[in-house]
Amino acid sequence: MTDGDYDYLIKLLALGDSGVGKTTFLYRYTDNKFNPKFITTVGIDFREKRVVYTAANPNATTTGKTFKVHLQLWDTAGQERFRSLTTAFFRDAMGFLLMFDLTSQQSFLNVRNWMSQLQANAYCENPDIVLIGNKADLADQREVQEKQAKELADKYGIPYFETSAATGAEVDKAVITLLDLVMKRMEQCVDKPPADPANGNGATKLSDEQPNEKKCAC
Amino acid sequence: MITDCCRLKMDLTFLQTLERERVLEVLRRDQQLRTIEEDRIRRMKHDLQELRRRGAKSFSRQYGERTCARCQRPLGKLWNSGAVCRGCSHRICSRCRVGAEDWKCTVCHAYRDVKFRSGEWFLEERAKKFPCTTDKYEMVGDKLLTTYSVFSHISVVPPTPPPYLLSDYAFLSRHGDLKNSKPFTKSMEDLMDSFTSHIKKISTSQNDVRGDLLSVDNDQRDSKLSTQKSLSETDISKSSRLFKGPSLPNLFKKSKDSDQEGSSTGAEEETSCGSEYSGGKRGSSCSILSTDCLLESVSMDGELELALSYSSDSSCLEITVGCCRNLSHGDAKKKKCHPYVKLCMLPGKSGKMKTTVKKNMTNPVYNEVFKFPIERHLLLGKRLQASVWHSGTLRRKVFLGEALFPLDGWRFEDKTSQSFNWYPLCHKASEGSAVERHGGEVLLRVKFSSSEQREVMQLSSFKSLQEKDTRRQII
Repeated sequence: MTDGDYDYLIKLLALGDSGVGKTTFLYRYTDNKFNPKFITTVGIDFREKRVVYTAANPNATTTGKTFKVHLQLWDTAGQERFRSLTTAFFRDAMGFLLMFDLTSQQSFLNVRNWMSQLQANAYCENPDIVLIGNKADLADQREVQEKQAKELADKYGIPYFETSAATGAEVDKAVITLLDLVMKRMEQCVDKPPADPANGNGATKLSDEQPNEKKCAC
Repeated sequence: MITDCCRLKMDLTFLQTLERERVLEVLRRDQQLRTIEEDRIRRMKHDLQELRRRGAKSFSRQYGERTCARCQRPLGKLWNSGAVCRGCSHRICSRCRVGAEDWKCTVCHAYRDVKFRSGEWFLEERAKKFPCTTDKYEMVGDKLLTTYSVFSHISVVPPTPPPYLLSDYAFLSRHGDLKNSKPFTKSMEDLMDSFTSHIKKISTSQNDVRGDLLSVDNDQRDSKLSTQKSLSETDISKSSRLFKGPSLPNLFKKSKDSDQEGSSTGAEEETSCGSEYSGGKRGSSCSILSTDCLLESVSMDGELELALSYSSDSSCLEITVGCCRNLSHGDAKKKKCHPYVKLCMLPGKSGKMKTTVKKNMTNPVYNEVFKFPIERHLLLGKRLQASVWHSGTLRRKVFLGEALFPLDGWRFEDKTSQSFNWYPLCHKASEGSAVERHGGEVLLRVKFSSSEQREVMQLSSFKSLQEKDTRRQII
């Protein structure tokens, strides 16, 4: 697992209230196992997984290629007392799994707070986020309706998934969707200023340097 | 930055000891991953540099309009006349293009690719949002880990605090007249006391006491020893907080320096990417990057074949120097070269070992095995420096290039890294130990437009030398 034989290192981060199942979700994703015990995360933790990503974007140069992606999935403590530590880690993540508990209305209400936390602390104003309602298997205890959650996700313009770490439903899909968003974002970021880095920048730098050289020649 | 440090420090102190250990454990794991990642990026950038070099072998000045900038094939006037790449504004033949409609030349495409794969895009985006951060490559985990290790270091082995600190903050600011009445050593002890206790979370109750004492202190401090003791403690803990801010970045830098021993050129040239490095972090990759721009001006060339393995039985690092090829002539006038390879462990320059000198060869074969006894865990943070020298007349040595091997990220278990591999020789930044300490401080951003490659390359190396000197003076 720990060799450099991969094409991309993508760092994702799971966040949400305490007890919504971030750790079990990631455990299910990386190891495909379920641990029903509740062990509160101390501060931060991370898990890793190697996946193969097939580029399916319209860009002609990369379509159809497969890449080895090393996922570093940061797990954060939901507890308030770790907040300052966990939010500090938002900065280093490229995508976010924002989770709530479908059996807890409160955790759903807190999604807004988490969103604002993200806006303040993530690497950009509108990072790639996937909204995840976890514990979908506990249908009888459900407090948050799909419609409700979907509306909120639409409001933010992010995808929404109802997952279950216990059964594994939609877990992979949610992460892969996020990965896809991040990979697309990557292209956008680099291609947005077309030819700027090579041309514009280089030229300005050059003119900066020439006087310098003259100075030292004197 | 300073406020950041303080905040992060808080972040660890609010944890209980066990929790803190847990978190640090995670951070260490993260650090391992990051080391591997940095290694990967270094290799990637090196490959890119190779590609670029092959594309622009403009040794001869006849770099004209009518040849493809990448493969140097002549371009026709009508047929196969080439087109200008949007990335680098070079005229490129149809063979050296990637992509159909919105094509780029091979080099520009590779740059773009590296930007994706190295996560550079992310760092750039992040730097846009947090422009105040000095180090673009800084990761929170790393920072925390460094911060904490700095603190724990202090609490275990008290370093000698710089004297100015005491005079500046503890005494001058609050009670300048006290300077003589209190023995220096005593105050140092106090400082350390306060420091350690500060790290172990001085409780707020002390803060309360503090206020009282301060009011008392002006008129009768000599009378009560106990008061004085706690007084000095509070004062210094204040002062320590004062100096902690500004001094921490320096400590960071220091640790970074040792990370990148001997790789301080930092004359980075990032052609079409135009990304700006902030020195630090990627130091060693920078050195590889930088080599090429220096390469062409001083004609440093050649490769070194070497195998690294670790024998757990004898706790020895085994270095086998195979051979070298395409070395440049140490004595350019006489076209002679008597090369030998010197091995050295960085930081500390310990365990210097040399091969025999091969006479009159630019492709010498050594096949010499060196054993360096070192515990496995001590390899963390160590680098192996393999430099090639020409042994000239009258014991004059001419540097022919070097290769650096970060040992903490080295995959000793990997069969491919155990066997022989070729490593390109890089230009060394400057001589001797001067390299070691100033590594992190050399902040150079050298860019050039590739349309005028020749001129600016020279310029870049020139500038790097100059800047380095000025920097050193400043330090």
